Amino acid sequence: MSATIILGVIGSDAHAVGITILDQALSTAGFDVVNIGVQSSQQDFISAVEAHEGDAVLVSSLYGHAEQDCRGFHEAIESAGLDPITYIGGNLAVGQDDFEQTKACFRAMGFDRVFDSETKPMEAIAALKADMNITESEAERTRLTS
Amino acid sequence: MLRDTRLSAEKLSRIDERIRDDWSVEPFDFEEAVAYHDSLPDKKRFAKVLQRADRPLLQPRAGVPRLDDQIALLRHLEGAGGADLLPTTIDSYTRDNEYEKAQQGLENARESGDDTLNGFPAVNHGVEGCRKLIEGVDAPIEVRHGTPDARLLAAVTFAGGFQSFEGGPISYNIPYTKERDLAQTIEHWQYVDRLAGAYTARGVEINREPFGPLTGTLVPPCIAIAIGVVEGLLAVTQGVRSITLGYGQVGNLVQDIAALQALRELGEEYLPGDVTVTTVFHEWMGGFPPDEARANGVIALGAATAAIANPDKVITKSPQEFGGVPTKEANAAGLRTTRQILDMVCEQDIDVDGIEEEREFIEDSVRSLLDTILELGDEDVAQGIVAAFETGTIDVPFAPSDSAKSAVLPARDDDGRVRILEFGDLALEPELKSVHTNRLDRRARAENRTTSFQMVADDVDAISDGRLIGRRGSSQSGGGGA
Repeated sequence: MSATIILGVIGSDAHAVGITILDQALSTAGFDVVNIGVQSSQQDFISAVEAHEGDAVLVSSLYGHAEQDCRGFHEAIESAGLDPITYIGGNLAVGQDDFEQTKACFRAMGFDRVFDSETKPMEAIAALKADMNITESEAERTRLTS
Repeated sequence: MLRDTRLSAEKLSRIDERIRDDWSVEPFDFEEAVAYHDSLPDKKRFAKVLQRADRPLLQPRAGVPRLDDQIALLRHLEGAGGADLLPTTIDSYTRDNEYEKAQQGLENARESGDDTLNGFPAVNHGVEGCRKLIEGVDAPIEVRHGTPDARLLAAVTFAGGFQSFEGGPISYNIPYTKERDLAQTIEHWQYVDRLAGAYTARGVEINREPFGPLTGTLVPPCIAIAIGVVEGLLAVTQGVRSITLGYGQVGNLVQDIAALQALRELGEEYLPGDVTVTTVFHEWMGGFPPDEARANGVIALGAATAAIANPDKVITKSPQEFGGVPTKEANAAGLRTTRQILDMVCEQDIDVDGIEEEREFIEDSVRSLLDTILELGDEDVAQGIVAAFETGTIDVPFAPSDSAKSAVLPARDDDGRVRILEFGDLALEPELKSVHTNRLDRRARAENRTTSFQMVADDVDAISDGRLIGRRGSSQSGGGGA
């Protein structure tokens, strides 16, 4: 398996702990991870997909401005002629939101999967494997050792 | 060249004029602002209220975009929550100096009635707006933010009647931003502190509070304290006389009490005698349980710790911390939970074994770091801290900033105290390092595993998963352990 994952925190957000752990977990699971870090713009993500032939984009946001930061993101990806799998996860709205509603909102924006901030790396890894048709035996070989 | 020397009055005025071009703020005048502060009653003088208190004062976090909503929110926290000190948390666009985006967010909020910003855009509200806020509540209010270049924010909010300002060049750069240059951030904060010093010289004491919790995630106490002392020293050079040093709860009772004691003692030792040093304890800053009842447990442990350690101020959390910005009711509930436990426990005479030993260990570690910083700067603390970050001799775990090596990795020992697993080039004496290593090895043996990044990841999730230590095989949630 040599799937390449572009990982970063969008907008002005500087929460680095989550992607640090996700980076480590994805790498251990056998993915090629390109971690573009915190405070990344839409263009930073798109450039990374182009430069590294990214198969999936994992967007993290914990400060509540995700909706503004992701507006037009999928249109921009499409105009760049790219078609990666896109996930977003974290605290996606300011305040105490109804997650089902938030999920619907980000799904409508074009994200393939939407996760809350309680999601463990294993769930994202399982989702990536399912969406990329990575077989069980491969998954077995690359399973996290804890 | 960056030096830890006081900015001249001419340089202060020159910067003061230049930064106002960043955003069209209404003109305001220093003399008029001093007169405005002089007109405020004693109960709104932040430093006085904090320094005269005979028990830990409580302060929540809170910031919404619209002025009327912010006044209503703070009144609720004063009334229903019993907050002694109030906050105004600034939105993320302002923290990035993106005043145009903040303006759009504020206008959207005014039109839609939704909170489309995650805080109060004080620069956009201007001096007039800030003064209406100060006049709209009884207690003094601190500006809380996370802005690397906070010059305009400070100029507007100081003129607007705020007398306390959180942050510093390290604590608001390293945990909050990716590409800002540390030396330049120090220059920017020299202006902020010099302005606070200028007010102080006129009898308007502006309280300054380095942000103790840093990245908020398993930060070893010695790192947090060393950085707080450095920021205190930098502020004092510019004329600040009221410093509140901060520390964030890690969850081990002995380590937290020891760290708060060390923070106060080292603050008083390293900062000059004419400076009033106070301390602030932040309730747990890491991931919270996704369950209000369990979240209240985390808050309660913080309150009990504060009752024994007796800091001057406690920054409270709400039971809705997990879900982002809390409702005003939940925010007030966090204050009341804290007050109830604090007032019950602080009446008691409690002896906890091991505090003295842990405090000495923390103090020795802080001295080791500070000695290196001062040496690297040839006794100039500004140069020393820049060199220390460049060489990794001072470092912060999980720091997003390019200015930090971020090579240090923390993990909990078998007793739940935060130790250092990976040191990078951190300037700790070998005998201090071996304490960390031995303690972590002991835990690894107890769990029959090796020390690794997995242990770090398990510890980051542990409290939200319901425990202090991320023990191997103890995860209860389905996908856990990753």
